[in-house]
Amino acid sequence: MADSDSVAELMARCVLRDERAFAQLYRHTAGKLFAVALRILRRQDWAEEVLQESFVNIWNHVNEYAAQKSAPMTWMTAIVRNRALDWLRRPNLERGGEDYDLLVEAVADDAPGPEVLLGSSRQAKALAECLEQLSGSQRQSIALAYVHGLSHAELAMHMREPLGTVKTWVRRGLEKLRGCLQGAPV
Amino acid sequence: MKYPADNLRESLAAEFALGTLQGRARRRFERSLKDDPALRRLVTAWQERLVPLNDGIAPVQPPARVWRSIEQRIRKTSRRGAGIWDNLGFWRTASFAASAAVVLLAVILAVGIPTFKPHDTMVAVLSDDQSNPAITVSWQADPRGAERLRVRVMGHADMAPDTAWELWMLPGGDQKPVSLGLITTHENQTVLLPRPLAVAINRASGLAMSVEPKGGSPTGVPTGPILYKGLCTMM
Repeated sequence: MADSDSVAELMARCVLRDERAFAQLYRHTAGKLFAVALRILRRQDWAEEVLQESFVNIWNHVNEYAAQKSAPMTWMTAIVRNRALDWLRRPNLERGGEDYDLLVEAVADDAPGPEVLLGSSRQAKALAECLEQLSGSQRQSIALAYVHGLSHAELAMHMREPLGTVKTWVRRGLEKLRGCLQGAPV
Repeated sequence: MKYPADNLRESLAAEFALGTLQGRARRRFERSLKDDPALRRLVTAWQERLVPLNDGIAPVQPPARVWRSIEQRIRKTSRRGAGIWDNLGFWRTASFAASAAVVLLAVILAVGIPTFKPHDTMVAVLSDDQSNPAITVSWQADPRGAERLRVRVMGHADMAPDTAWELWMLPGGDQKPVSLGLITTHENQTVLLPRPLAVAINRASGLAMSVEPKGGSPTGVPTGPILYKGLCTMM
């Protein structure tokens, strides 16, 4: 992974329509972003399609990036996740049942909590500490929704709980997270 | 549609960033984002909070066909050669204000110099007349001052014997360029800034590089040709 300074440099050159910089930006970031799309979509062909659309989008809107005030990877990740979620929620999407089993296996209840998977950046440490303060169900539903793109209904199905209960876990979990993270240096 | 209540805005922003805001509510929220910068900031804050959840995901290289398709699609929309510097009246010419490029400059500056966060990076990409980037200069936009500039020299012209390359800060308006010191052709360099310059550079509109006699400009302003120049952008 490229450090955020050099990704920022590449993006500045993309603003000036530098195609070589864009190719470098792709080489630096596509692996991570493809993996993010794969986790949510669980199908290689869909993830390829979403990655392609996302990078065209990044190229076309890179001049708007400076106004967003977020780290470069955060901005690009948000584009990929939004595309992937939109893709999943197209009205006529045919889902394969097999893929879903893979997911369930990957997030089995005895799997380690998301906190052990977080990185070592300051933001990651702050998030890990605050996730610790959530209940297990709140933590798990937020991690599943974020990393795997599960909807409220899918969360309810996966966690075998009523829809209303799951919605409350997510809402309360997010509120607690915000309260905790606002106290921490960002 | 407006979402007036603060709590509602906050929780919608959170569920949008998480992905659990769906269907019609999601689309309605997306429409509101377009003309509500404060709401966009709430979403950005949530994206920053949650993004470390992806840290545990190992990269997976996509097949080469993905890049080939992207390349084809951006080539169709790309306007190569129509660089923003093509008709930019530089600081030495009087036609500055008349240039259409100034409008673009103003737009970039308007979004480029707001309040500083500790980890904001400022970048200037210095390009030649054909918009080919040659040098990037980056620094941490610390309000207390940027002590060092990171200079990366990529493709560049040869340095003629008995000449020097001098880096200049363009303060903007009709103010004279200020020397930042000499650089070499080495790929990676660091320029240390004296205190007043360290603070001033955060408000610079652009940077430039000129060819000067050995030892640097004798007059304190550029005397030789400006080879590369570029705007400062906050990332």
